Amino acid sequence: MLVFAISDKGGTGRSVTSSNIVYRRALQGSDVCYLDFDFGSPTAGAIFSVSSAARGTIQGGMHGYFEGRIADPHRIDIWAETDREGLRAKPPGAGQMVLFPGDEGGGEFSTVSEEMLRRCVRLFTRLEEEFDLCLVDLSAGRSFAAQMALAATARLPGVPFRWLVFHRWTRQHIIAAHGLVRGRQGLLAAGVEHGHDEETLADHIRFVRTAVLEPDAAELEGLRETQKAWLNECDRELRELARRYGVGRTSMLGKIPLDPVLQWREQLISDEDVLSSQIANAETVAAFDDLAKKIVDDSAWEAL
Amino acid sequence: MLVMGEVRTGLLQNSGEIPESLCQGVLGLLSGERVRISRRPIVYAVSPDQLTGVDCRLASAARARVRGVGTVLSRASVTGGRVLQGSSHIQVARAEADHRLSWSHYLARPGVVEVFGKMRVPDLADGFADSGAWNDCLDLGSVSERFMDAVQASPLLDRKAPFRSARTRLRWVAVAEEPGREGPGIRFTLGRDRVRTLRLVLPDGFTPDVVDFCEDLALHDWLLTTLLVIVERARVGTATRAEVTAKLAPAVDHLLHLWMPAARLDDGFAPLWEALERRPGFSRQWQSLVARVRDQIAINTLALLREAGGW
Repeated sequence: MLVFAISDKGGTGRSVTSSNIVYRRALQGSDVCYLDFDFGSPTAGAIFSVSSAARGTIQGGMHGYFEGRIADPHRIDIWAETDREGLRAKPPGAGQMVLFPGDEGGGEFSTVSEEMLRRCVRLFTRLEEEFDLCLVDLSAGRSFAAQMALAATARLPGVPFRWLVFHRWTRQHIIAAHGLVRGRQGLLAAGVEHGHDEETLADHIRFVRTAVLEPDAAELEGLRETQKAWLNECDRELRELARRYGVGRTSMLGKIPLDPVLQWREQLISDEDVLSSQIANAETVAAFDDLAKKIVDDSAWEAL
Repeated sequence: MLVMGEVRTGLLQNSGEIPESLCQGVLGLLSGERVRISRRPIVYAVSPDQLTGVDCRLASAARARVRGVGTVLSRASVTGGRVLQGSSHIQVARAEADHRLSWSHYLARPGVVEVFGKMRVPDLADGFADSGAWNDCLDLGSVSERFMDAVQASPLLDRKAPFRSARTRLRWVAVAEEPGREGPGIRFTLGRDRVRTLRLVLPDGFTPDVVDFCEDLALHDWLLTTLLVIVERARVGTATRAEVTAKLAPAVDHLLHLWMPAARLDDGFAPLWEALERRPGFSRQWQSLVARVRDQIAINTLALLREAGGW
């Protein structure tokens, strides 16, 4: 299955959340891979703590593959090549976890040629043979990479795909997420141009809220009653706004709580971070785990 | 004499094995010619030979610039309606002219690549065996995969494979036996990223049977590799019996009956297979895995019977 991760704005935690989903899915026993399609700033290597590819690889990554310079993009076995001690031993029963990094100094594409599209279709077909889940991390906003993903999936009727739209739980982000999907030149409009059926495509898109502060969260214990009331009111307004913009509960796949570790360390959160060093919250890991299950759970993706 | 090739092996992307009647359609995509099918002891279908013209560098262990021009001979095959292989090889020969000739010259020598200048067999053999996927030299594996991709994209396949599996790569090099320099007849090495290398020393020179042998070895290496992964993932002893059985079931449904080493090979290759059976011991490892799979399923059946009170 192909899963495309996209966000309208930067700083939503799209990459760090998708990386953690991939990691959780691997722990749950699936073979997973992560494709860095953020050609302008390939940083997935840093999230997985693979220092040789922290800013993209020099050994022929995604960019070089699409340009036709190499036949197979460079692949990194994360279990074997990560610098983080705690991740290096693949737990029994866990699946493959492979990173396809971008190229160092690659740059965004300015067009999608027929040849690039053919290469994209071939890559997706081959990876589908080998991996249960291929997560494609697209850059923020409308990009040629997103166009290419829409065009390629339109040509692969037998390959299941899903889209995750990441947004923060704020007024601006909710409106932006709506625009990215339903606005002019949004995903749906562009998808129809490439031959997708609008309704079917819409059924394959779900939203993920990031950095969510729940009004009843333990962190808010010390607040004054007036502050709590105000926060509750804000949250209610946001829920109403989200519902009006089609970004509400029914189209949401999951939400990730605000966790300082994610903001400052943009890395995989291991169980060790929760249990022994206790720098991360158990709720955060539970949210990743839940998302990793829902991504492949058909009942979470029934038509709205 | 220097012959080198690469075989890539993977699971045909279909929910079940495809019947013989579909093989023609699936493999016939590649050309108008007929697909050859043999039925005993296992259904084996092979596409007509395909030629790819090349004019490029050949990998050299000494990093010399060696230019080769000619054609690569490739074919795709399906064994047991289940396992797909793409196989390409070239015979390397020294060019008589010092410049590129018209393509008719090369087309008249299918599967021969001519190199300009001096030809050092060990240098080219080592260079090819060690070449990575991302240099700018002739990449026979990519040629093989292109034909596999064409087969996998066939509309006759439903693309609902019963399990995920990675393609394996077997890179092989065959050289003639040299008087006074006795090397091993066969050397098989497991490398990183599912790359295997096979070095052959052939006393009787090259025949197309050598390609059959390499493909047969690649097929069985893929079966063993794939079954090992399935058994490892089943977490025998840790997961519940029902989970273990569910994970092992695809192996029973789709893989166990395909093991038939050297079934279609010329008798002359029996000693080579025997050498591989001694070390690394392909069939020994396979049999032990198969026994383990069957025992696990038997134990689960007994447990279920006991639960149902019928035993």
